[in-house]
Amino acid sequence: MEHPGLLYVAATLLPLASFLILLIWGGLRNFARRNKATSPALDGVYQILGGDAITRTPAYIATAAIAGAFVLCLTGFILHAQDEHTHGAQPAAHAHDHKHDHDAAHADGKWAAHFEWIRLGSRENDSRGALALDLGFKIDHLATIMFLMVTFIATLIHIFSIGYMSDELQEKVEDHHVHTAHGHLERRGRFGRFFMYLSLFCFSMLNLILADNLFQVFISWELVGICSYLLIGFYYERTSASNAANKAFITNRVGDAGFVVGLLIIWTYVGTFNFDEIFARLRSPLHDSHGAVPLGGAFVRANPGAAEPDGRILKLAVPKPGEEAGSEVVLFPVDATEGHFHGVGHGRKFLRSEVRLSPDLDLDGHGHIPYWLLTVAGLGIFLGCVGKSAQFPLQVWLPDAMEGPTPVSALIHAATMVAAGVYLVGRAFPMFTREALLVIAYTGAITLFVAATIAIVMTDIKKVLAYSTVSQLGYMMLALGVGGWAAGLFHLLTHAFFKALLFLGSGSVIYGCHHEQEMTKMGGLLKKMPITGLTMLAGVLAIAGTPLFTGWYSKDAILVAAYGFTSVHGEHMLLFLAPLVTAGITTFYMFRMWFLTFTGEPRDAHVYEHAHETPWLMTVPLILLAVCSIGVAWGWPVWDAEASAMEKHVHHAQHHAVYTEFGTIVDKDFHEGALPEESIRQAGQAGHTLVGLLALFSAGMGFLFAFAVYKLKTLDPAEAKEQFAGAHDFLAHKWYFDELYSAMLVRPALAVSGWCRDFDRVVIDGFANGFGRFWVWVSKWDGLFDNGVIDGLANLLATMAYGVAGWFRSLQTGFLRSYVLFLVLAAIGLFVLLKYLVSVAVAG
Amino acid sequence: MSPITLNHYLALGAVLFVCGVLCMATKRNAIGVLMGVELVLNGANVNFVAFAYYLRDAQGNSVFLVEGQVFALFVIVLAAAEAAVALAIVLNFYNNHLTVDVDTAEELKG
Amino acid sequence: MKFPDLHATLFWVLAIATALSAISVVLTQNIVRSAVWLLFSLCGTAGLFFLVGADFVGATQLIVYVGGTLVLVVFGVMLTAQGPFISMKTSAVEWAFSVVAGVLFLGVLVASISQGTWVGGFVAVSPADSTSAVTLGESLLGVTDATPPAKLLGNDNPDQLLERTRMSYLLPFEIVSVHLLVVLIGAAYLARAKRRRGAAA
Repeated sequence: MEHPGLLYVAATLLPLASFLILLIWGGLRNFARRNKATSPALDGVYQILGGDAITRTPAYIATAAIAGAFVLCLTGFILHAQDEHTHGAQPAAHAHDHKHDHDAAHADGKWAAHFEWIRLGSRENDSRGALALDLGFKIDHLATIMFLMVTFIATLIHIFSIGYMSDELQEKVEDHHVHTAHGHLERRGRFGRFFMYLSLFCFSMLNLILADNLFQVFISWELVGICSYLLIGFYYERTSASNAANKAFITNRVGDAGFVVGLLIIWTYVGTFNFDEIFARLRSPLHDSHGAVPLGGAFVRANPGAAEPDGRILKLAVPKPGEEAGSEVVLFPVDATEGHFHGVGHGRKFLRSEVRLSPDLDLDGHGHIPYWLLTVAGLGIFLGCVGKSAQFPLQVWLPDAMEGPTPVSALIHAATMVAAGVYLVGRAFPMFTREALLVIAYTGAITLFVAATIAIVMTDIKKVLAYSTVSQLGYMMLALGVGGWAAGLFHLLTHAFFKALLFLGSGSVIYGCHHEQEMTKMGGLLKKMPITGLTMLAGVLAIAGTPLFTGWYSKDAILVAAYGFTSVHGEHMLLFLAPLVTAGITTFYMFRMWFLTFTGEPRDAHVYEHAHETPWLMTVPLILLAVCSIGVAWGWPVWDAEASAMEKHVHHAQHHAVYTEFGTIVDKDFHEGALPEESIRQAGQAGHTLVGLLALFSAGMGFLFAFAVYKLKTLDPAEAKEQFAGAHDFLAHKWYFDELYSAMLVRPALAVSGWCRDFDRVVIDGFANGFGRFWVWVSKWDGLFDNGVIDGLANLLATMAYGVAGWFRSLQTGFLRSYVLFLVLAAIGLFVLLKYLVSVAVAG
Repeated sequence: MSPITLNHYLALGAVLFVCGVLCMATKRNAIGVLMGVELVLNGANVNFVAFAYYLRDAQGNSVFLVEGQVFALFVIVLAAAEAAVALAIVLNFYNNHLTVDVDTAEELKG
Repeated sequence: MKFPDLHATLFWVLAIATALSAISVVLTQNIVRSAVWLLFSLCGTAGLFFLVGADFVGATQLIVYVGGTLVLVVFGVMLTAQGPFISMKTSAVEWAFSVVAGVLFLGVLVASISQGTWVGGFVAVSPADSTSAVTLGESLLGVTDATPPAKLLGNDNPDQLLERTRMSYLLPFEIVSVHLLVVLIGAAYLARAKRRRGAAA
């Protein structure tokens, strides 16, 4: 196949096509329904489009689309594996042998291509970047496995949804959560709309994975955001649901603001959004034409300095080793590795004395970015990920997002939305500075601990799972932050399977219990719902890190990475202790949930009586997911936590920057013999057995505790609750985050708004009104002057003329005789006048 | 008895003239008004003819003899024409208003 | 002084008759009597014309005025003479105003006349100077000898006198004739019997 990468493009576009079909169908039908009374033609259209009946067709279309995408991804996965095999590309784990850069396989456009979408500047004579927005795809090992995971889980969720959302097939759905004046709200079922949203959601997520540039990611990012908004607010008549949707959306906006800041910085300084180009510009090439480069793969930091006369010295003076690092990060040309060139510190002999460049690599001409600004850019993009992946401090929206239908929760928590944040951190990893990575690690550590503690006290089955998701996402962030790049993304994949399983299982429970979500009303359901119960047990075991279950492999990898990091940096010991302790907490609350739900005596007879196992449409996905949760991460030998095939696969996609960063942490002084990327791994390997045992111990303690409390009832949870009422309240209120935000952000904002409003009313309006009143006053006087003087004068003239005319008019009697008399009188007058004049003339 | 001079004639013309004017000023009958006009014209004619008879130059030649009489003739002719037209108007007025009272013809009053 | 005496006598008789008739025209309330008094007044005037030698004018006065115009007037009186219109009273106030104005006017006129000085105004005219119809006709036709010397302009130059004598009244005469014709036609048109406006309305 010439361009197997296009398989993935097709797989991405399939859900979009499904979305568009459903959108146009539904839109036309809605339009026709509203206007069918006025036009028989529209009535005909309405009948053709399905009439009043709500069919399952939209579900079939959407499911077929995502299933087709899964098949395409599977084909692509196999082709990619074959391609790698025939090309003999070395795994990226040994990327120091850079002659066989795995990017080489992509150079021919087979697995990566892009085209210009919007051009903002000329490419001519501009080596800094394209100044163009591209659309493109880049398929590497990470993308292939992510595609496979997303499409697989999404397919199962689609199938599950056909069963779960069957209520929406009725023409009149009664929503028991919405009370109106006439009892419960009744509305038309929205079956098709649900699947339309799901399709758009899948498209957005797949496009995000597909993207080879930050801008395309950003588009998908926002699409994912809007889809989550639509789906969380699916029951938008419920106040809680619409509030939750708003909360999710607004919280994500906070993160996206950071994302935009990051984008702007990258665009301004680096001039491109393409991942590979960004990394190529930020990090020194590993090799120049003469072999390995000392600073290869690292940020080259320099201080702005004067040029030496021969022009061979970098205008940005690169500090010598031992000196403080420079304030600027040198940007390399995108095409630096083409042709004959000399890298930074070319030729070893300049090592440690001065760093030289060949004249053709006048780095200053390609720009530089302040190191702190690069950190800010990284933190900005990470802030976006914090929002999407519900990390501390923006984790507040995810539990509320449980207002959406349960399959949506599964989709959000497993495959799409929250995965997007972790995925992007992984994708953009090479542009994060060490400071940014440390922030990521600590964010993850805080998140995983906080969320796990809250999960202990939650009684809503979905909320327990929601907090467990937050906690697990914290694990992934932590792993990425401490250099366990593959471990973090590996955990993302395994977690997707068992979290999807758990959510769908909880959905099954909720469906079976007629939309009862409170665990306090459940209990003993295993008998009624054996398939659901057992499959969920598999999920619980997986998330708890039981050996041989998927969670074991990935969590082990994370802990190893954290151990490796902390063993070198003792001051960051917390980054290891937090996940270790939380592993036990996780086991505790997951088993608590399972015990409360499926074992013991039924706490609510009514719920228990009516509980039933769900139809095969819902159990089959559960079984499939359970199988995956157990075995999807297996490798050979199965009992070796290091041997997971999936982790190895992910590992192939790892950028060499990971080794550069975390290799040099260990090996501060560069020396030729040691391969830097080995050092952190070695540190981890050294403590691997110990770490594994510690984790098992922690998890075991959690299990025993849960077993003792909820199965054997040796401890009464209610008693404990009373005894530690303060702690319980603290946890039950989710560490008072909502209250804190309310007090810190919402109320101050409202207060400031109130002040602004008052200021507006009193000062601005007062001024405006005063101004207005002043002019009204002036106008009044002006009006008086106008009326009295100007008009008075004019009227006076008119009145005088009128009066005179009236007087003259009265002379015109219309009587002939008067006229004659006037004539006579006039003649007499004339005579007299003449006489007078003559006498005057004679006298004069 | 003093000799009759031009002034006597002129005085008579004045009397006729004033009588005509008074006739116009006091008669309500349109035909009466017309008679007043005739009197006025007559007064003027008396003057014309008197001037024709009496006016002489320094040598004692009559200077206005023919002109005065010709003017008088013209006036008579014009008076006749005027009377004809005026009577036609009066008849029309009478046809329209069923009266010859000039006071009813006051449409043009101010 | 026999001749002037006769002239004076006749003048006084005729003048008084004429004046009294004119005054009667004014004073009479009955329109028919007014017409008769007017007849006397016009006849008196004609007599005066004869007295000052304007035979043709006097004759014309009698023929046209007394015979034509006055008959026309009497026709008018008869055509419109219905009871109420024969004598229409004018208010005493109006009378008073009119008489005062008239007396004033007369006074003014008489005062003007008495102050005027006229060339030869007091010279008696010999009968030989009386103008015959022949002279008038010739003068209208522009016959030179008939045209009086132009002394009114105060021009004594004999050469210019020649041109002056070429003046004739033929053209004015013709114009007056045509004018009279037009007026008569117009009068006939106006007086034509036609539907009253009021009937239509």
